[in-house]
Amino acid sequence: MRKYSYLYLTALLAAASCKKTELDLFPYNQVETTQSFNTEQDINLAILGMYQGIRNSGSYYSGTWNIVADVLADNLIISQQGRQTLKTYGEWRYTGNATYGLFSGGYTIARRANAILENIDKFSAGTFKDNAKGEALAVRAMTYFDMSRVYSKTYQNAGPTDSTVSYVTSTDPKITPGKEPVKGFYDKVIADLTQAATLINSSNPVGSGIGSTNSRFNKASVNGILSRVLLYKGDYEGVINAANAALGTTPSIGTLTTFPQIWTDASDAGVLLKIKMTSIDNVNTLGTNYYQTVSGGIKSEYVVEYNLAQEYTSTDIRKSSYIQTSAFNGIMYNNVIKYAGRAGQPAGVVDAKVIRSAEVLLNRAEAYYRTGKTTEALADLRTLKLNRYTGYVAATDIYAGEALLTEILRQRRLELAFEGDRFWDLKRRNLPVMRDATKGENADGSGTKYVFSTLPAGDYKFNLPFPQSEINFNSNFTQNPGY
Amino acid sequence: MRKIFLFMLLCMSLAITQVFAQTKTVTGKVADESGSPLAGATISAVGGRGNATTNAAGEFSLTLSPKIQEVEVSYVGFANQRLTVTGQATLDIKLSRNNSSLSEVVVTGYQTLRRSEVTGSVAKVSGSELAQKPIGSFTQLLQGKATGLQATGQSGRPGANANIRIRGAGSINASSEPLIIVDGFAVSETAYNMLNANDIEDINVLKDAAASSIYGSRAANGVLVITTKKGKAGKPELRYSFQHGRSKAQELKNLKLMNGAEKLQYEYELGYTNPLIASKIQAEITAGRLPAGTTIKNLPEAQRTTFWNDLISTGAGDWSTYLLQNGNTTTHELSVSGADDKFKYYLSGNMNNNDGILYGSFWNRKTGRLNVEYAATDWFRLGTNLSVSHTKENFVRELNNTQNLYAAIYRFNPYEPVFTSDGKYNNTFQGYSPIEGTINNPDERQRISTFSSIYGEIRAFNHLTLKSQLGANYNTLKRESYSKPGSNLANILGYNSKTDQGNQDLLYTFTNTANWRQTIGENHSINILAGQEFTKDKFYSYLLTGRGLPSASFTTLENAGTPTAASTSRSEWALISYFANATYDFRKKYFLNLSGRQDGSSRFGANNRFANFWAVGTSWDITKENFFKVKQINNLRLKASIGTAGNFNIGNYDALGTYALSNKYFDLPAATPFRLPNPDLTWEENKNFDIGLEFAVLNSRITGSVDYYNRKTQNLLYPVNVSAATGFSSYVGNVGSLRNRGFEISLSGDVVRTKTLRWNVSVNYSNNDNKILELYSDNAATANSGSLNRLKVGEIANTYYLVKWAGINPANGKNQFYNIDGTITEKYSSGQSQLFPGKSPLVKYFGSIGTDLSYKSFDLSAQFYYSGGNYIMNYMYQIGANDGETKNIPQFTDVFNYWKKPGDQAYFANPLDASQNVTFDTDKYLEKGDYITLRDVTLGYTMDNKTVARLKYIKGLRIYAQGTNLWLSTKFRGLPEVGESNRESTSLVVPGAVTLYAYPQIKALTFGVDVKF
Repeated sequence: MRKYSYLYLTALLAAASCKKTELDLFPYNQVETTQSFNTEQDINLAILGMYQGIRNSGSYYSGTWNIVADVLADNLIISQQGRQTLKTYGEWRYTGNATYGLFSGGYTIARRANAILENIDKFSAGTFKDNAKGEALAVRAMTYFDMSRVYSKTYQNAGPTDSTVSYVTSTDPKITPGKEPVKGFYDKVIADLTQAATLINSSNPVGSGIGSTNSRFNKASVNGILSRVLLYKGDYEGVINAANAALGTTPSIGTLTTFPQIWTDASDAGVLLKIKMTSIDNVNTLGTNYYQTVSGGIKSEYVVEYNLAQEYTSTDIRKSSYIQTSAFNGIMYNNVIKYAGRAGQPAGVVDAKVIRSAEVLLNRAEAYYRTGKTTEALADLRTLKLNRYTGYVAATDIYAGEALLTEILRQRRLELAFEGDRFWDLKRRNLPVMRDATKGENADGSGTKYVFSTLPAGDYKFNLPFPQSEINFNSNFTQNPGY
Repeated sequence: MRKIFLFMLLCMSLAITQVFAQTKTVTGKVADESGSPLAGATISAVGGRGNATTNAAGEFSLTLSPKIQEVEVSYVGFANQRLTVTGQATLDIKLSRNNSSLSEVVVTGYQTLRRSEVTGSVAKVSGSELAQKPIGSFTQLLQGKATGLQATGQSGRPGANANIRIRGAGSINASSEPLIIVDGFAVSETAYNMLNANDIEDINVLKDAAASSIYGSRAANGVLVITTKKGKAGKPELRYSFQHGRSKAQELKNLKLMNGAEKLQYEYELGYTNPLIASKIQAEITAGRLPAGTTIKNLPEAQRTTFWNDLISTGAGDWSTYLLQNGNTTTHELSVSGADDKFKYYLSGNMNNNDGILYGSFWNRKTGRLNVEYAATDWFRLGTNLSVSHTKENFVRELNNTQNLYAAIYRFNPYEPVFTSDGKYNNTFQGYSPIEGTINNPDERQRISTFSSIYGEIRAFNHLTLKSQLGANYNTLKRESYSKPGSNLANILGYNSKTDQGNQDLLYTFTNTANWRQTIGENHSINILAGQEFTKDKFYSYLLTGRGLPSASFTTLENAGTPTAASTSRSEWALISYFANATYDFRKKYFLNLSGRQDGSSRFGANNRFANFWAVGTSWDITKENFFKVKQINNLRLKASIGTAGNFNIGNYDALGTYALSNKYFDLPAATPFRLPNPDLTWEENKNFDIGLEFAVLNSRITGSVDYYNRKTQNLLYPVNVSAATGFSSYVGNVGSLRNRGFEISLSGDVVRTKTLRWNVSVNYSNNDNKILELYSDNAATANSGSLNRLKVGEIANTYYLVKWAGINPANGKNQFYNIDGTITEKYSSGQSQLFPGKSPLVKYFGSIGTDLSYKSFDLSAQFYYSGGNYIMNYMYQIGANDGETKNIPQFTDVFNYWKKPGDQAYFANPLDASQNVTFDTDKYLEKGDYITLRDVTLGYTMDNKTVARLKYIKGLRIYAQGTNLWLSTKFRGLPEVGESNRESTSLVVPGAVTLYAYPQIKALTFGVDVKF
C-alpha cells in the first residue's frame, strides 16, 4: 500500500519540522546585556565602546564639534559658494525642533561609561579595576561638561537657580530626570575627574602607530581636561595644579617642526588625547565641515573671518597649518585646512584632537595671571610663542598688566581656532559675540557680510535649546529660558 | 495540538479502503446567458480524472469514474461553474459572464471554496486586469481594483512596489502591508516585483477576519492570495505578446519653476549676488573696470543686463531636459499551456526592458515559469509551481541632495551651464553633477528570485484530501557600486572605491493539511480543514570594499590597492503554526465558518511566544428562502464575521536587550549598547468585525456589494520612547490600540448589453476612519523620529503636530504664528506646536470609476482612480518657495508674491528682512492630498472568431494601445501620489507624510500585440 507510506511520510515530516526550540533564535553580532560584563575582556570591549561612542556621535568628535563653536562665534564666516550648512548656528536661529544633538549624543556616551561603573565592582581590586573605573569616570565627566557648555550657563555666570542637564549615573531605562543646578553639576564633574586622575593608568596604549599612546584617556589627559573644567569654574589654583600634572616639568606642545605634522597625524606632539579616526572608519566629517575639493579647488562651507585672518602673521606657523588662501570660481578665500586629512589617505579623515598641551599651557598661563603670578604667566606665554613664531625672541616680547591677559587670550584664540573653543570661551568670560559687520567672506574682506553681527553678552541664545522631543516626553524636564 | 493532529492523520490512514472501478457518462450542452452555444468550453471532473470540450453546437460527452461527484465548466470570459453529478445525467449549462461572480471559486487560505461558501469578505482581482501593463510591480497595478484595497505607488522608479493598505493602516510602526501568498506560500517583500504579473491567474484579497485569520499572526493587515496560471484543458495554446511604450515623468501640478530671467530678477530684488555674477564682477574689478566692493545691487544697469544675458544664453534653461530621459519599455512574452487528463502545464518566458525616466536609470527583468500538475493515480496528484526571475537595475541615487537627479532639477539654477568651458559636466553651485555621477559612479544591482513549490495531494474515502507542500522563496541580491578613478566623487573623497555587496534570503514554508469535505443527505454540507505549518527565514549578507583601483577599466576588487571592508552578517526568524477551518452549510442557504490558528514566533519575548487567533463567519443566501419571491433579484446574500489576526512585522530580535560587537574603535572590536530589553513584547492583535450585502439584479445586469467593517488593533507595536538621558531613544513595545472603520461600496452595471454592443460602468468607493483609541502610556505620544506627526488618543494616527502659521503681518512683512492660547506672535517657538485634528497622512476615501465599452471586435476601457482626505507636508514646495532662505537655488514663481510695502497682503514674508530668511515647519506647507487620475485607458481590437477561423496558423489576435496616468487633477502643489519621501531618506518613515524628491510617477503610452497560435 503505497498510499500508507505517503501518509506516514507526510506525518513524519510534519512532526519533524515542529520543534519548539526552532523558535529560540539569537542574533549573530550581539550579546545579551546581562552577559556583557562577565570578564576583563568584556570590560575592555566596553571601554573601547565608550570611545567608539565619542567617535560615532554626529554632534561630537566625529561630527560638527570641531566647527560649531567657531561658527557660533566670530572665527568663521559662511561662504556663499558652500552648501549653506550649519546656518542655524551661524545665524543663531536654533529652536527646540532644530538644535544641537549633543543632548542625546552625550547621554549615549555617558551610558556606556555608566554600564562599566555599575559592573566594575564584580572585579577584584587592583590596577585593572582602578583603571577601568578611572577611564569610565573621565569619559562621563568630559561628556557631561561639554553638554553643559552647550546648553547652560557656565559656572561663573550661573546663579543658584540656573540649571543644566542631569548628571545621570545609572543605566535604568525608566528614568525621566529633570535638571540640576549648574554649580552642583560642575562639582560632580570635578569630583569624577579628580577621582579618575588618581585611578587611571599613566599610559593606556591602544592600536599601533600614531595615536597608539593617546587615543584613550590617561593620567595626563584627565588632568588636562580637569584644568579646562576648573578654568570654567574659576578655580585657578586648581587649574595650575591640574595643568602641572598634565604638562610635567617640560611641556611638549609641538615645535615649529612638529606643529604642522600634528594636523596630518604625522606627529602626536602635544596631543594629550585624540579620538582615533582610522582610514577604515573613513569618517571625513571633520574635513567636510570646512570644505570639499571640487574640480581641483577648495569649495569652503565656512572661511576665516577677515580680521582673524589678519591676526596670523607670516612668521606664525599656525597660519600655514590652519589657513590656505586660494581661489574658487575666480574668487580668493581664506580656507581652513586644519582638517585636510593625512597624506595619501581619504580627504578629510583625520584624528580628532580632544585636548592638547598647548591649551593646558594657556589655561595655566591665564590661571597664573589671575592669581597674580604674572612672571609664570609670561613664561608660559613665551613657551607657547617660541614654538609658534619663527625668529621669536622671548626676551623682547614683554607684556604687563591687562596687556598680558589680552595677549594670553589672543594666543588662545589663535591657537585653538577651528577646534571648537571660541563660543564657549566667550560664554565663560561673559563676553558678547561681536562680528565685523563691514567685512565679507572674500580674502580681501569684500563679499557677502554677516547677516547677524552681534549676540549680546548673556543673551539667552548663548545657551542652546534642548530638543523639543525630550520636553514633550519628559514632564520633569523644561526648556531653557527664551525658547 | 500537534499530537491530536498526528493521531487524526493516523486514524484516517488506517481506515483507508479500496474503491471499486465503475464509470458513468455525463452529456450536455453549454451556452451563454442568452442561450447561444459556447464552443470550446471545458468540462472537467472535480477531484479526479476526465475532461471534455464542447463542439461547435456547445455539446459534450464525458465519461467519469462514479466517485466523481462534481464537474467544473469553464470558458474564457465566463465564470467557472461547478455542478453536482449523481449517476448518469444530461446537463443544460448556462454560463454567466465573469462580472457576475456568483459561481466563481475563491482561494482563501489553504483551500479553494466556491464563492457561495465564503463567509468572509474577499475581493477577487482577475489576472486579466493586471496583465500587459507598463509598470513592473503588480502591487502598483492593484490600485483601484478592489474596494478596501488602497495601493499607493512608493514612487515612479521602475519596479517600485506600492504601499498596500487593506481597510486602512492597522498598524503604526510595524508594517501595515498585507501578507502576500503566492501559490500557497509566503513571499518576501523584496520579491514582489520579481513576479511577472502576466502569470497571475487571480488575486484574492482577504479583507476580514473570517477570510484571513487562518493566516494568524501575519494577517492583521489582510492577505493577498495569488494564484498563478495553470494549463487549461483543450488543445495546447501558444501565445506571443509584444509590447512597446514610452514614458515621461509627470509634471508637478500647480507649480512652475522660475526661468533664468525670472530667477535672476528675483535674486536682484533680494540683493543676492550669485557666484557666477560674483566671479564676473571680480574679473571686472581685477581688470580695473569696476570699483572694488561692487555687488549686484550697485552694478550699473547696462552691465547687469549684459551679465544676465550672458548667463541666460549659456545656462541650461530647463534642467529636466538633461536630468530626465524618455523611458522606453519593451516586453516580449511567450507562453504555452494546455492540459490532458494526466497533465496540466503552463510555461512562460517574459523579457521586460524598462528604462526609467531619470537619466541613466533602467530596470530589466526576465522571468520564466513552469507550472505542472500530474495526476499519478486516481488518488495521488503531485505538482510543482516554479518561477525564476532575474532583474538588473541601474540604481540612481534618491535622496535629498543633488546626488539625486530629480532633486537636482530643484537645485540647479536655470542660468547655470550644463558643461564647463573644458567640456566637463558642470558641478554647479552645489558642487556635484548627478549626470556625471550616474555615468562614473554606476550602482548596478542584480537580483535573482525563485518562487518554487512542490506538492503532493492524496484523496481518500471520497471526502478526504491530504496535502503536503514545500514552498520556497529564495532571493539574492548582487550589488556592484563603483566610484571610478578620475570621477568627480573620487576626486572629492580623495580615493576611488569599489563595493561588492549582496545577500541571500531564503524563506521557506512547509505546510501539511487534511481536508474533509462531505455532503450529508440533502441538507448538510461540511468542509473541515486542519493543518500545520513551519516557516523559516534565513538571511545572509556580505560586504566587500576596496580603494585605490589603478584605472576605471579594472572593476574587480582583486585590483584594489587597499581592501577596506570584508563583512558578513546573518539573521533568522521562524514561525510554527497549527490551524483549522470548518465550514458548514444548511441547504446552501445558511453558512457557518469557524477558523482558528496558533502561531509561535521567534520574534517575541520569551513570555509571549505563542498566540491564538480565531474567527467566526456566517452568511445567508436570502434568495433561497421560500418567502423570497422577487424575480428581478437573482442574488441577495448577507454576510457577517468577527475574528482576530496578528502582526509580527518587527525586527527579528527586538525583545532582547543587547550589546553589539560590530562597532570598532581604532580598528578593534568594541562593545556598544544596542537595544533595551522587553521580555513582555507581544503580538499586535486585530479584532475585526465585518457585515456585508451582495446583490445582483435584472439577470445580473447590475451587481454590487456594500460592506461595513470595524477593525480594532490592540497592543500596537511601536517604539516606546524613553528619556534621551538613558542613552536610548526607544525600545519596541506595545503602546496602545487604534480602530479603523469604514464602508465599501461597489456597483457594476451593463448599461447596454446586446450581441454586438456592450457597455459596462463600474464604480467603487471605500472610506476609512482611523482613530487612536488608547495609549497605554504617554511614552508613545511623539513619533520616534522627526516631530511632524503625533499619536494622540481620539485622533487619527500620525496626526500632524506643527506650529500654526498666522500669515504675513501686512504692517511689517514678518511671518506670524499662533501660540497655543490663540494669540499671535512673530516669534517661532517649537513649544507652541499644536495638533491638527483630522489632518494626517492617512487617506480617508478612495476608489475608482471604470467603464468598458465593446462593439463587435473593438473595445475601449478607462479607469479613473481617486483618493483623498489625507494631508501631505510639502517639503518640495517649502524648499522651492520660502522667504528668501533658499534664494541660491531654483524657486517657484509663487515667491514673487512677497511682502514689499506696508499694507501688502502677501503669502511670503519680506525676504529683505534677514530675520525672515529662515523656514520653519508650519502648516503653511501642509496640503490636502486629494486627486483624481485617469489611471488607465485602453483601446483594443480583438479579431473575431469567424475571421480567426479562416486563418491557418493563428487562433487569436489582439492589438491594443493604452495610456497610463494620462490625466491628473489636483489642487496639491506637486505630485499628490506620495509614497516614500524618497528611497534613501529612511528616517522619514511615515508613508505619504512628506514630499522629498522621490522618483516621480510616470505617464506612459504603450502599444501591444497578442497572438495565439
